[in-house]
Amino acid sequence: MPWLSLMLFLPLLGACAVLAIPKDNRQAIHVASLATSALSLMVSLGLFFAFDRNNPGIQFAEKADWVPAFSIQYSLGVDGLSFPIVLLTTLLSFLSLIASLGIRERIKEYFFWFLILETGMLGVFTALDFFLFYIFWEIVLVPMYFLIGIWGGPQKEYAAIKFFLYTLLGSLFILLGILALFFGSTPHTFDILELARQNQQFSRTFQIVVFLALYIGFAVKIPAFPFHTWLPLAHVEAPTPVSVILAGVLLKMGLYGLLRVSFPILPQATQWFLPILVLIAVINIIYGALVAMAQTDLKKMVAYSSINHMGYCLLGIAALSPTGFNGAVLQMINHGIITGSLFLLVGVLYDRAHTREMTAFGGLGVRVPIYTGLMTLAAMASLGLPGLAGFISEFLCFLGAFPVWKWYTVASVAGIVITAGFFLRMLQKVFMGPLNAQWGNLPDIRAREILSIAPLTVLTVALGLWPRLALDLMNQTLIYLSTLIQ
Amino acid sequence: MKNLLLLTPELLLAVLALGLLVWDMLQKTSSARLTLWLGVAALTLTLLAIVPQLSQKLQGVGSLWVSDPLGNFFKILILLATLWTLLLSMEDRSIPGGQMGLYAATLSLAALGMMLLVSATDLLLVFLSLELVSICSFILSGFNRSDPASSEGAMKYFLIGAFSSAMTLFGISLFYGATGTTLLTAMAPTSNPLLLFSLLFMLVGFGFKVSMVPFHFWVPDAYQGAPTPITAFLSIAPKAATLGLLLRIFTILLPHTALSLTMLFQVLAIATMTVGNLSAIFQTNMKRLLAYSSIAQAGYMLIGFVTSDPLGQEGVLLYAFTYMAMNLGAFAVAMVLAHASLPAEQDPYHLRTYDGLAQRSLGLSLLLTLFLLSLAGIPPTGGFIAKFYVFGAAIRSGFYALAVAGILNSVIAAYYYLRITYRMFFVSPARETPIPVGNYLATTVAFAAALTLAIGLYPSPFVESVKLSMSYLP
Repeated sequence: MPWLSLMLFLPLLGACAVLAIPKDNRQAIHVASLATSALSLMVSLGLFFAFDRNNPGIQFAEKADWVPAFSIQYSLGVDGLSFPIVLLTTLLSFLSLIASLGIRERIKEYFFWFLILETGMLGVFTALDFFLFYIFWEIVLVPMYFLIGIWGGPQKEYAAIKFFLYTLLGSLFILLGILALFFGSTPHTFDILELARQNQQFSRTFQIVVFLALYIGFAVKIPAFPFHTWLPLAHVEAPTPVSVILAGVLLKMGLYGLLRVSFPILPQATQWFLPILVLIAVINIIYGALVAMAQTDLKKMVAYSSINHMGYCLLGIAALSPTGFNGAVLQMINHGIITGSLFLLVGVLYDRAHTREMTAFGGLGVRVPIYTGLMTLAAMASLGLPGLAGFISEFLCFLGAFPVWKWYTVASVAGIVITAGFFLRMLQKVFMGPLNAQWGNLPDIRAREILSIAPLTVLTVALGLWPRLALDLMNQTLIYLSTLIQ
Repeated sequence: MKNLLLLTPELLLAVLALGLLVWDMLQKTSSARLTLWLGVAALTLTLLAIVPQLSQKLQGVGSLWVSDPLGNFFKILILLATLWTLLLSMEDRSIPGGQMGLYAATLSLAALGMMLLVSATDLLLVFLSLELVSICSFILSGFNRSDPASSEGAMKYFLIGAFSSAMTLFGISLFYGATGTTLLTAMAPTSNPLLLFSLLFMLVGFGFKVSMVPFHFWVPDAYQGAPTPITAFLSIAPKAATLGLLLRIFTILLPHTALSLTMLFQVLAIATMTVGNLSAIFQTNMKRLLAYSSIAQAGYMLIGFVTSDPLGQEGVLLYAFTYMAMNLGAFAVAMVLAHASLPAEQDPYHLRTYDGLAQRSLGLSLLLTLFLLSLAGIPPTGGFIAKFYVFGAAIRSGFYALAVAGILNSVIAAYYYLRITYRMFFVSPARETPIPVGNYLATTVAFAAALTLAIGLYPSPFVESVKLSMSYLP
């Protein structure tokens, strides 16, 4: 049974179904999209139990010739690197769809694009053929453009086009890199794993040129300084569920690309680039945190904190050790879960108050206790409180990086302090102090909203207490990956 | 004289086209649709006549022309584009009703000229067929005589066309002076200055037809003024045919690498895509926008021509074929919208008519999005595969500057293509009336979409046939 294909194309099937439903039939559209996305989630959960945690290689592989003239294959598979992210994707997509039930305008188009987006993202993380990978990589762009541009905030059109052109420019450089790798390899191949096995045959100069081309594309997605300027705009303007996907999954595509493609295929260039990468990581951490601190808009603050959190991932992978890799991949998962819930929570508040200015609130803790509890937990997890998910992964990133990059790591720890600073200040401004009379009858969080957030909260606690839940999945692969580079 | 049989498709088309003309004269009140259907029948018969010759490689009488897979590929492409144009014409309202026979016959004769052009190996035949194409195109672009814009476009087209023909002819005479023959196959390429001069003069004429910068000035006006099916036709068929000719002359018979003209072609390719894209940004009329976009697309195709290795040549073929599908689709949707616009609106092709299309007809706006994404080269569409092919050729042959220029241009192009999707999806409509789509237009759009997606999702058969087509004489 081609389980991965099934998981991958169920949402696409849902999208086609949605297209066939008349646009006034809201319920049918909701059911069709939730059902296909839920089935996709179910398949991925089934694979979670079938996944062999001691096997560092590719599992559930599928292969078929696609364009034999260029030895392009339809090749899917997951390993310890991609599988946790695949799980994150199916989960976040499903939860975001639940959160999207509140969308009122043009829902047919909304769910159509959303489901296409899910297929695109899953494709990126399961494709093992470079050509296929690129196709899915680009497919992600188009629905995202529409989702931000139609259902976004006041500056949505500008945000959408900026996001699109920025990432398109980056991904076209990836295309050049892919072509160079194809024609540089003998025999010519698009197989990512085969290219990694052949990595000895590429000269150092060739590696560096290709690495830079790929890096531009990946860095835009991460987003690594200085390619991050599209992110705050896109995040703030996007509707809540789309922000969740953007932060939770799309940002992981860049890091995944580095780990899956750049590092194993171009090891010499990786070594060459590492000093720059670690510098960028520190800038991301400190700069992201400082800018987040300066925000008064809740969503902008969370958006900039993403830049900071991606910095930890970069620091972790710059260690080139199993510990660092584990930390980075775990941080990717945790960031998806935690920031996902933060965005959802900010969205809940915005739906009621129609503002996201911290200063406009105050004392909400009395008025909306359940909401306050959930938000506090998510914020604590994001600032790295021990016992919650964020701590473990950030700790592992530091632990991995410290032996190699002592001073950079020391500098990065400052990021944690700043992060704690702005999250605590946010909690204080919004939830503590005297209740702002304006919000005297603000309703607390509703059941449907809890339904979309609770699984993430549970996971935040679970991964904080029992990180092996995720670490066991990835450990073997990441150990193998680090030997491949060194 | 047995070799004359090689010309069966061309002879058949010529006879049928003239027959159409006669038939139209004999009828007192001929139905426009029926005449067009007869044109469709003529073209279909010609297509069928090509089939038995598909894979043969033979020299024609006196070596004026050849019959080989390369030529046949372009002949099929031209005939398909012409067929499609006739289908589009069935619902066009700007063609004067009583002259359908003339219209269909002129279109068929233009196709005939192009078929000869792509198989010519002698400069005499090249010139004759080029003139046949040009004269027919002038007539067609000015066909809507009641519209001053149409006449203006046709006039510009004619003047610049006549000028470039003269240049070509001058180049041919220089060629004869340098080599003592008009036969392209007779001599080995050398860097004889006179020969180079002659080729450059000829290039003016060819560049005019391909809409290569700096010979592109006629394009926007002629495209805007011509009846829309003709605009679609002009943007595809003559361009593809001349590319076929350029491919034959400059990559096979007299390779530009041996003449050290590669640098020149590289510069021309980059200039063509950049000028086309940068000018397209500022257009507010769909036909003009597509006109400039077609200039830029020619620039991408020239990439494959510059690399001139088998990969690049195949890339040109695949690109031309994909371009036919996606461009025809875009023009067909533009026609649908122009028909749906109110008479009060000044310009039925103004981009304003696209405002809020998604809320008036989601299907139509998704299809146009597909064509535009394909033109922009974004997967999973045919346009991506085509770009992939030519960029791949550029990387493999070491033309990195060309590849990077192509990429930067793709981003610029994405900007103005997306401006249309912006209007369709992000702007609310001025009125919410649904859009009527005629049967013929619906069929064309559906075919174009199917082809665009098919090339993108399952490129194998197309890649294979392009590979088979890259076999030629000598």
